[in-house]
Amino acid sequence: MIRSSGIILLFLLCGLLASGAPGGRPETAPNLCTIPLTRAVRIPVSMLAAQDTAKSSSAAPTNLMISLGAEDELPEGPDGFDVLEGGGLLITDPLQSRVVSFASDGKFLKAWNLGFAADSLTVIANGMVLVREASTGQLHAFDREGQARPAEEATLPVRAEARVQPGKNRGEVVRTAANGTHASPLEIQFDKPGLALVSLESLAIDKKGDTYVALETTAGGGSPDAINLNKYVRRYSSDGKLLCEIADIPLDYYVAPVDELRVRNGLIYQLQTTKSEVRVNVWDTNQLCSRPSH
Amino acid sequence: MGHKPTLFSPVTLSGGLPVLDRLPLVLLCITLISVLPNHAQTGVIARLPRTTRADAVARAHKLANHAWVCGASNVHASCSSRYVSDWKPGQRVTGIPYRWGGIDTPEEFDRKLANGLAAGAHSRYGVLSCAAGMDCSGFVSLCWGLSPSAHAYSTSNLRQIAGKPKYNWFSDMKPGDVLNNAGSHVVMFTGYNPDGTINVCEASGSKARVACSRTTWSRFKGYIPLQYKGIDD
Repeated sequence: MIRSSGIILLFLLCGLLASGAPGGRPETAPNLCTIPLTRAVRIPVSMLAAQDTAKSSSAAPTNLMISLGAEDELPEGPDGFDVLEGGGLLITDPLQSRVVSFASDGKFLKAWNLGFAADSLTVIANGMVLVREASTGQLHAFDREGQARPAEEATLPVRAEARVQPGKNRGEVVRTAANGTHASPLEIQFDKPGLALVSLESLAIDKKGDTYVALETTAGGGSPDAINLNKYVRRYSSDGKLLCEIADIPLDYYVAPVDELRVRNGLIYQLQTTKSEVRVNVWDTNQLCSRPSH
Repeated sequence: MGHKPTLFSPVTLSGGLPVLDRLPLVLLCITLISVLPNHAQTGVIARLPRTTRADAVARAHKLANHAWVCGASNVHASCSSRYVSDWKPGQRVTGIPYRWGGIDTPEEFDRKLANGLAAGAHSRYGVLSCAAGMDCSGFVSLCWGLSPSAHAYSTSNLRQIAGKPKYNWFSDMKPGDVLNNAGSHVVMFTGYNPDGTINVCEASGSKARVACSRTTWSRFKGYIPLQYKGIDD
């Protein structure tokens, strides 16, 4: 009896020591949760037939357009997007030289005719939208109704710098404090058996100071015949605690996105152009990412 | 009742000699096959022009930085009534245009442009002889120093002149290697970034030209790294 009580006490002591041990990984939160897909917005597409040009096509104006491609030419289609404050979506439609505005549920609202193919767009803070011309890289400014504005004073927001330590499954994101100085770096540790951290990308830092980071890792499973990988998005609190993770990001793209992930009000959005539709996958990190107790 | 053959049972081939008796001969044949050169393969490799990684990347940047001005005649393709140009007359552009099936050097491109050929073309118009530019495999071929006189290699047969390296693809690729998706697309790797993302140069249909960019790995799911067999390390 005394012996079994001693063993139980030993286990409890070990558990306490492990949980409070100094030098533990700073981002590990006891209540880390994995966020499942919250919803997917589906937008219909029309396929540009080989004998058609975008102008001659009889596609519905509410549809986005994709091309089939060929050997040594990738399919083309919507590859840039961003999310407005209210959840509305702006998606590039390069084959029809326009940007299309959709409600948060995917309902077509209006199209802005650009006169050029765009492959990326960014909603910036001063009410403007910066649209990148695919064939030149030039940025064009519009208001949120699609009216052209002078682009001179508009600049793309700079993403926080990130670094990976190769072979160590560690990295960091260099955060900037409110006064513009560098705050302490956010330390990232990736621990999943058999997987290795490949890249880190800082997606956004929100008003609360929470940081959203995209991680690419190997997919495991021995020597692959071709490149295979997993993608995760993590949300960290301002004090560096890992709050939650999205682990089911699909990477089967028909048209590879230029703007792959966006963050708006705690929601993670992914642009996924497939052969049959444009999907915007949404994960809501606000409901399940409870803050760690102190 | 027969018995289950074991590794050392004297199994015979249709009345011939026992296999074990032939074992030295079989081993000799296997050794000879593996040691003797594959003449077809080595013939191709022997004909490949040698190049350094620095030169391959320098050529990639030269093609991406080639500046040209689109003339009024370069927005039309005399051999295609359906052709729609990616460019506007008078537009200043950096990067050789994407032309499906094309493999024009900068000099050849400039000459064709001056002769009024269309600047670039996509696969939806077919292979246009009246257009100038290059596609993704033409781009990689030029970067490796292959002859522009024939577009001999596409993403489907690039493996004939480039092998799959055994190193860690995510950390040990070298500038001048490529990421190939047979039947689809190929890009040239030019370096890693501190955040683990990579820099590539490519002849891109969606960008309508040769361009270099930083990119994440996710767009290369299903691609295979390849190392040119004529590279001088």
